[in-house]
Amino acid sequence: MSHKATKIGITSLVLVLAFGGLMYSSLSEGTEYYKHVDEVMANPAEWQGKRLQLHGFVVAKSIGRRSDSLEYRFDVHQNGKVVRAYYTGIVPDTFKDDAEVVLKGELRQDGSFHVDKDGVMAKCPSKYEPEGKLGTPGAE
Amino acid sequence: MAGLGYYLLLAAFVVCAYAASMSVAGARRGSRGLIESGIGAFYLVAAIMAAASAVIVYSFVTGDFSIKYVAHYSDSVQPLFYKITSYWGGLDGSIMFWVFMLSLFGSAAVYVNRERHRELIPYVVATISVVQMFFLFLMVVHNNPFTTFLTEVPADGEGLNPLLQNGYMVIHPPTMYLGFVGLTIPYAFGMAALITGHLDDSWLRAVRRWTMFAWLFLSLGLMLGMIWAYEELGWGGYWGWDPVENAGLLPWFTATAFLHSVMVQERRGMLRVWNVSLVIVTFFLTIFGTFMTRSGVVQSVHAFGEDVELARMFVVFLITILIVSFGFVLYRLPLLRSRNEFDSWVSREAAFLVNNWILLFGAMFVLFGTMFPTLSEAVTGERLTVGPPFFNKWMLPIGLMLLLLTGIGPLLAWKKSTVNNLKDQFLIPVLACLVVGIGAVALGVRVWTSGLCFAFSAFVAGTISQEFWRGARVRQGATGTDILTALIGLVSRNKRRYGGYTVHVGIVLIFLGFAGEGFKQDEEANLRPGQQVQVGQFTVRMDALKVTDDGQKQMVTSHMTVFRDGKEEGKVYPAKWYFRKHETQPTTEVAIRRGFMEDLYVVMPAFEVEAQSASVAVHVNPLVNWIWFGFGLLTLGTGIALLPETAFSFALAKMPAGAVSTTALMLALLLLPTVGWAQGETVQAVQRSETQRRIENDIMCLCGCRAPMGSCPMRPNCSHYDEQSLKVTQLLAEGQDHDAVLASFVRDYGSQAVLTAPIDRGFNRLAWALPYGVGVAMLGAIFLVARRWSRAPEGSASETPVLDPTLDRRVDDELRNLD
Repeated sequence: MSHKATKIGITSLVLVLAFGGLMYSSLSEGTEYYKHVDEVMANPAEWQGKRLQLHGFVVAKSIGRRSDSLEYRFDVHQNGKVVRAYYTGIVPDTFKDDAEVVLKGELRQDGSFHVDKDGVMAKCPSKYEPEGKLGTPGAE
Repeated sequence: MAGLGYYLLLAAFVVCAYAASMSVAGARRGSRGLIESGIGAFYLVAAIMAAASAVIVYSFVTGDFSIKYVAHYSDSVQPLFYKITSYWGGLDGSIMFWVFMLSLFGSAAVYVNRERHRELIPYVVATISVVQMFFLFLMVVHNNPFTTFLTEVPADGEGLNPLLQNGYMVIHPPTMYLGFVGLTIPYAFGMAALITGHLDDSWLRAVRRWTMFAWLFLSLGLMLGMIWAYEELGWGGYWGWDPVENAGLLPWFTATAFLHSVMVQERRGMLRVWNVSLVIVTFFLTIFGTFMTRSGVVQSVHAFGEDVELARMFVVFLITILIVSFGFVLYRLPLLRSRNEFDSWVSREAAFLVNNWILLFGAMFVLFGTMFPTLSEAVTGERLTVGPPFFNKWMLPIGLMLLLLTGIGPLLAWKKSTVNNLKDQFLIPVLACLVVGIGAVALGVRVWTSGLCFAFSAFVAGTISQEFWRGARVRQGATGTDILTALIGLVSRNKRRYGGYTVHVGIVLIFLGFAGEGFKQDEEANLRPGQQVQVGQFTVRMDALKVTDDGQKQMVTSHMTVFRDGKEEGKVYPAKWYFRKHETQPTTEVAIRRGFMEDLYVVMPAFEVEAQSASVAVHVNPLVNWIWFGFGLLTLGTGIALLPETAFSFALAKMPAGAVSTTALMLALLLLPTVGWAQGETVQAVQRSETQRRIENDIMCLCGCRAPMGSCPMRPNCSHYDEQSLKVTQLLAEGQDHDAVLASFVRDYGSQAVLTAPIDRGFNRLAWALPYGVGVAMLGAIFLVARRWSRAPEGSASETPVLDPTLDRRVDDELRNLD
């Protein structure tokens, strides 16, 4: 019985270690910090160069698109802090003035936020939103 | 009305409490009367919930905007169909809908099993009642769908977001709920077995069918969500590892594991603790998924909002489930001891066990990934997230291992496979696997995951074909019929087994579709008329950018021509629609050209009317349709496995003449809608409004082609068409509706002959139900035919079925080690 127990114990130990190692390696390259605009902009230097998911709201009338291209420039704000974002690619339908967005990308030296390809996520018009209209600050 | 609805919910809560307490008291005292009273109360809950549902549907239909929920999710101009389905449109209503479905399901399960599993029923009633009580409690104290405005009542509701006024979004949630609710039944029976100590395998037999049924709906619900994402969201994919999607996937994994491991317990009396734990974990995950996505614990791009109070109630309920359920498992551990020892790793039960481990690991991994942001915040204080690449990296090998096991499992014998046995069984599948694998490399498949997937798929296909072929040959030899008849006889004799194989074929197709992901190509470009973009073998040329208006919305459509290898293939019309009152949020209309080998998927995210330029994204998605087709086969297979035992028990070798050809014909008919669906709808033409399109199908083209305008073969060179179409547009612009336009055509033409057919108003609303209808009709047809055939001819009814010795030997071979 104890022989069997050791065998099981060693097997599971090896498995756990292998999984743990793989998990650690894939996690360390795959993770991103999930931050709100005000948290990041309180101390921008600390976040420069890190992989970020930036949560905020699109400043009304700030969305600009270079004509004949998919290059966008817009401002994102939260709790009084604002950051300028640049993005090239397709934006979701729900991306518009005042929309609540999550942007994947990184903060550059100049203080602007560069969004990855397909890195703009606007809040889905889910049926399950609580009281309050979609996309307005305070809908959280 | 609101008051009535609220009191009905309160009443349901009280009756639930009564049902639970009476059943338990009755079971403990052995009083038949009390138990019957509990069961009666249990049925009553279903009736009360039906009444409450009627109240809320009535409020939606009549537009009672004093009820907040109604005001929030509908408005007066919404079509009747969406008014009714708004019932489950929001959180409060969906909880109520959940309880309603659970009460119906529970009543059906209790009714069916009340005699056969007499000792379990009181506790089944009690368990389901307690679950219902939790949700009713949520509604009564926190999420009451009947809350009214205290002061001013809005004149009109806010209406549903246009993006959600979509057929898939209407049937997707109830399908998922059916799956979730259905998984409560096995849990209730499992708990009843644990509480009473009747832990023989009878409770498993009671729930097998319910689990399969729930599993089917869960699968279909996941598929509908995938199709919706693919066709509506415009990013070219169908699965993004979003917490909401994951919440549905978690119980699917564990339910799949249970459906497999239950066979080990039936055959070998092993894994008994494991099975009951799986049932508990599956139920736990259905509730946990709801909690995760509805209470704001996990941040997602879906606006779920944080609701601390709701979260707290769910946590209490979840912890209670865990403690009580596993408490009973520990308490009953002595009764759950395995009847057999594990013999060898080269056995079918070992394959099932490994399959279970992998499925469970998959579930735990997805759970971990989904909860990772919350976990990391709790541990380190920083919210870290993981994205789709992380999930894909892990789920790819998990999926491939599962696929391989799908092929290996059926080749192994129960208890222990001998070496000769292995050689005989594995030869053909392994050959198939090698041929396809080497072929894939030779043909230049350089994506190793997809290449492996192709090879493994061939392996599984080899296994399943071999199983069907050998079984059918044996039966043919025994009964002397043709091979097709033998095949059907084989399937009918062991519906679960061969239904299961059919499901596996569906899974293989789904995996092939996933493998196609490895070869997708996409390109973004900014085009002016005459310019073109090339993606793979497709060239897409922009012809024009047109702006039209149908009164309800303004439509900007890009007219594009598709060339394949330089040859013109057809047109696509990606568009952007600006609905009135929702101008700031245009909807992107994807143009999909479906094909057997790949989809051409064109989106126009931005445009400039003055410059006549459009920015387009063109995706070539190989093999996507195989996924939907695979789900079709999965449904068919589950349907076969679910057929009642009495129905088509073809133990009799003799079948009515023509039976096989009828079946073949029927199968062809069944498959047709799926095939037609997968290949039809090649172009989503959106240049004309829905109303206009409808009108043009209702009016004959006057050029003499004897076709409706909309499908005049002379187009685009038909002068009559252009004239008539212009007139329709003008009339619509004047504000006339469908009927008025038809009326003016009749007036101008002087007769009804200008109309193609009387208008079938109900049809459009029913269109969404078509897939369901086809599915139900399919099952019904199979059932009826099976019933007819299974009825033994007069006079031979008392005869013992003619058992064929060879087939028996084959069955014996598999059963030989049974106790």
